[in-house]
Amino acid sequence: MTERRVCGLETEYGIQVDGVDDLDVVTESMELIRCYSREDFVARWDYGLENPRLDMRGFEVDELLQDKDETEHLQHDRLRKIPLKDLKSDLILNNGARLYNDHTHPEFSTAECLSLTDLVAQDRAGERIVLQCARRRTEERGRGTVRLYKNNTDFEGHSYGCHENFLLPRAIPFADVVSALLPFLVTRQIYAGAGKVGVEVDHRHDQNVFQLAQRSDFFEVIASVDTMTRRPLVNTRDEPHADPARYRRLHIIIGDANMCEWATALKVGALRLVLELLEAGNIPPMELADPIGAVKFISRDVHRRWQVELADRTSTTALDVQAAYLARARAQVSGRDEETDWVLDEWQVALQSLATDPMELVGRCDWVTKKWLLDSFADAEGLDWGRPEDRAWLQSQDLEYHNVDPQEGLYLMLEGMQDTSVVRLSDEMAVTAALTTPPRGTRAWFRGHVLEKFGAQVRSLNWDSIEFDIDGAIRTVDLRSCVDVDTAAIFNTRLDQAATVQDLLAALTSLATEKETP
Amino acid sequence: MNQEMRDRVPRPKSPIDTGGDGNEESGPRRPKVERPNTDDLMRRMRKVDPDQARRYRQRTGQ
Repeated sequence: MTERRVCGLETEYGIQVDGVDDLDVVTESMELIRCYSREDFVARWDYGLENPRLDMRGFEVDELLQDKDETEHLQHDRLRKIPLKDLKSDLILNNGARLYNDHTHPEFSTAECLSLTDLVAQDRAGERIVLQCARRRTEERGRGTVRLYKNNTDFEGHSYGCHENFLLPRAIPFADVVSALLPFLVTRQIYAGAGKVGVEVDHRHDQNVFQLAQRSDFFEVIASVDTMTRRPLVNTRDEPHADPARYRRLHIIIGDANMCEWATALKVGALRLVLELLEAGNIPPMELADPIGAVKFISRDVHRRWQVELADRTSTTALDVQAAYLARARAQVSGRDEETDWVLDEWQVALQSLATDPMELVGRCDWVTKKWLLDSFADAEGLDWGRPEDRAWLQSQDLEYHNVDPQEGLYLMLEGMQDTSVVRLSDEMAVTAALTTPPRGTRAWFRGHVLEKFGAQVRSLNWDSIEFDIDGAIRTVDLRSCVDVDTAAIFNTRLDQAATVQDLLAALTSLATEKETP
Repeated sequence: MNQEMRDRVPRPKSPIDTGGDGNEESGPRRPKVERPNTDDLMRRMRKVDPDQARRYRQRTGQ
């Protein structure tokens, strides 16, 4: 049986302030992050182990590509004279998550999670945390409401991500990872897409199209290390945040940010099972003729037939591609545990509903839910999708679907109503707990509880390590081995038993994971 | 897993064209559904500024 491995989500939020058309999103995002704590910001994130230019294919690029707009913005940004650490304002929270300004967007990266229920609760906690920051920032500004959107586009060609991260054995050749994932990732949007009014980047004359996914317009190459332009279907960034000899971190950048908990869980849960198929050498044999063309075609296909051509020039559909992966997953892991069976069953339900009556997925699948709301509103108001001014209003509804304020956001309002078909995997108790509590059984538990217990002595930290300052002596705990369940359990037990940092370091010394820096 | 996850609940009828009527014109179709019984939500949608998305300009992220 394959060991259950950690996964996580990183979500960049869109930011807007009422009445401010020339918002400086860089400094506004920085100030918003700093509203998390009432105390002065202290930079503790250690960037030493980050290198986004390192490619899994065994090389390092000189620089990451930027689009034309961003190249111009960056020239202006350099005039700010704000140190990078201050600008990013990185925070590690007691729930094990990272909250920071990813240059122009507030970003919440969940703690490492083992279960989908933990992942959903942590993701929802992220919504609440950034909302709290926005409300405080609104008070602080005194003028204009700060609004945050859990979406992926401004409808004018500027996209930002919701990335998924999966721990994967390094032993699997990366070329196998790419070939195994391409048909799955290109077609997953039929149940994981968040829906979008209009087309960006190319075919802009087709503005009256309602797409399945927010991100599909933005993918131009099969595989690369870039994430901001010429985006790849499979990202090759090599930052394992674990022992690099044993693991990769699969960094999936094609997915949409989901409001529906069901979609978040199925999006991640199905991909986890596909990774298990990959490890077992059990991937269905198929190759798409044109993955880049297919990802856009499927998203924009108003007839919802979702036909794709295979490399052997035969034709199939996105539904059949997904069904092929599902059939193998069911044969391999059915009955293993409740969560696995939930993923298999709901994956099946999704494909059946999409084939017969997609509206059965209202409250589960974001693009269906959004389309249902928009069509209902258009019908009630007599709006015509073909009329630009009507479509602009529908696009504004699309945006407001993703507003994270439950008093304004269309999805969250729907979720809060009685007798709706919204399916939740978390409950208020779980989300409230996730605001401050890391997922059990993970190194995030260790990280979060170290901060809670010995925070005053933490000098710096990141995903992989924690550095303590003990009366001027710097001691580092290496957490790269702590990604597996057994090692995390040992670390967490020793932390629970330690009364002081010195106790903790002594207890971990025997594990030979501690290194001492001069 | 929450038991609620397994429950099936009634859904509104589909406004989404499944491509079965032979109409090949592009673009979303006129909805064929009842309005959702969510008056508060409809009121909120009417208050959304039609230019909200036009004013929503972001910088490229990852």
